[in-house]
Parts: sequence; structure tokens; C-alpha cells
Amino acid sequence: MTTIAIALTTGVIAGVLSGMLGVGGGIVLVPIMVFALGLSQHIAQGISLVVIIPTAAAGIWHLHKEKLVDYRTAGLLSGGAVVGALISASIVQDIPAVALKKIFGTFIIIMGVRMVLAKKKAKMEGK
Amino acid sequence: MQKGKVIGFGLVAGILSGLLGVGGGIILVPVMVSMLGFAQHNAHATSLAVIVPTALVSSIIYSFHGNVDIVLATTLAAGSILGASIGARWMKRIPADQLKRMFGILLVVVGVKMLW
Repeated sequence: MTTIAIALTTGVIAGVLSGMLGVGGGIVLVPIMVFALGLSQHIAQGISLVVIIPTAAAGIWHLHKEKLVDYRTAGLLSGGAVVGALISASIVQDIPAVALKKIFGTFIIIMGVRMVLAKKKAKMEGK
Repeated sequence: MQKGKVIGFGLVAGILSGLLGVGGGIILVPVMVSMLGFAQHNAHATSLAVIVPTALVSSIIYSFHGNVDIVLATTLAAGSILGASIGARWMKRIPADQLKRMFGILLVVVGVKMLW
């Protein structure tokens, strides 16, 4: 019961953050699951991927009606993306959790720096 | 003409998604905006249509290796969908720039913590 309450709250926080910031759920969800829920890096990433499916699908549901989805381009990108995911998701299972955590850590540092710098750039352009 | 290029970018996004457990929108959206001339909104919407099959494939592989907790995932998803609609509404009222910068700093801190 408590775990469910914590998970639900975590989900809401992650959702609010990604909705407000326009970032995907994964970058928010994975660190929260690792640090707040104490999950292993692999399980956190696996759960993140499952959570992303209905969240993104719900997004499409709204945006499809506004005719914002370009399905032809989506199809081409998906063709490559599915193959890429098949390869990396298989390889990642053999990467030790400690190493994977470091890879993920490096990734979010880059993303964080980019987010901090992007703001300054927008300011300089006067937008 | 640039079909191959588009598929190639998809491949990179997919590799990132499976490796890191993220959607891949981080790559997809900028590529569509800068390379394909998409408006931000269209790129965001289209990226979601790529993320669904990509995350599906990745999560199936993760679950084969016992790295998915479906009960926890369902609960998180329920909260996340609810939260996302709240967040999207708030986004229009709150200065997102400052928040984004703060979140960026938080990401760096968390990332550094993950390196140790």
C-alpha cells in the first residue's frame, strides 16, 4: 500500500516535471527510481520504458486530433529506431549495473549542461 | 532523398533509448527541427509516434531479462499521465525558462552523484 502510494506520487511528480519542462519522462523517472525507490539501474530503465509507452500514446491521442503528427516521417524514424533499440536493449543487459549507472550519469550531465546553456542562448537572441 | 539520413537518425535515437531507458525525444526533436525543418510542435508530436514503438521493443527485451516490474510500472504510469496533464497546464503560466535552468543544474548534480 505504501509502496503504491509512493510510486503514484513519484509518477505524478515525474509527470508534472516532464509536462512543464517538455522533456521526456525517462530522464526524470530513472534517477527518481534509483535514488528514491532504491531500484537497480537496469530495472529503473526497464520500468521507465514501460511507463513511457502509455504516456507517449496519451500525448499522441491529443496531438493527432490537432494534426501535428507527421506519420510518414515517424514511420521512417521508427524503422531506424526500432532496430537501434533492439541492438542496444540487448547489449545493455550484459553491462554491469555500476557501469550503466555511470553511462546514465554522464548522459544526464550533458543534458543538464545543455538545459542551462540553452536558456542563455535564447536570451541572447532576445526571444 | 534524405530517407537514409532520417532512418539513420532514428537508429541513433533507438540506440540511446534502449541503452538509457529513455524515449529518445532528446535526439528526435532537435533532428526534426534543424534537419527536416519541422516546427517545434510538429516535431514534438511526431517524436511521440516514434517513441511508442521504440519503447515497446526496448521494454520487451528488458522484461525478457527480468528487468521490468509491471505493477510498479503501471502505478508510475497512472501517476505520470495525471502529472503530465497538470504540468502541461502549469507550463503556460509559470516561467519555464528559469525552471528549466534549475532542473538542468539538478540533473548535473544527480549525474555527478551517479558517477560515484
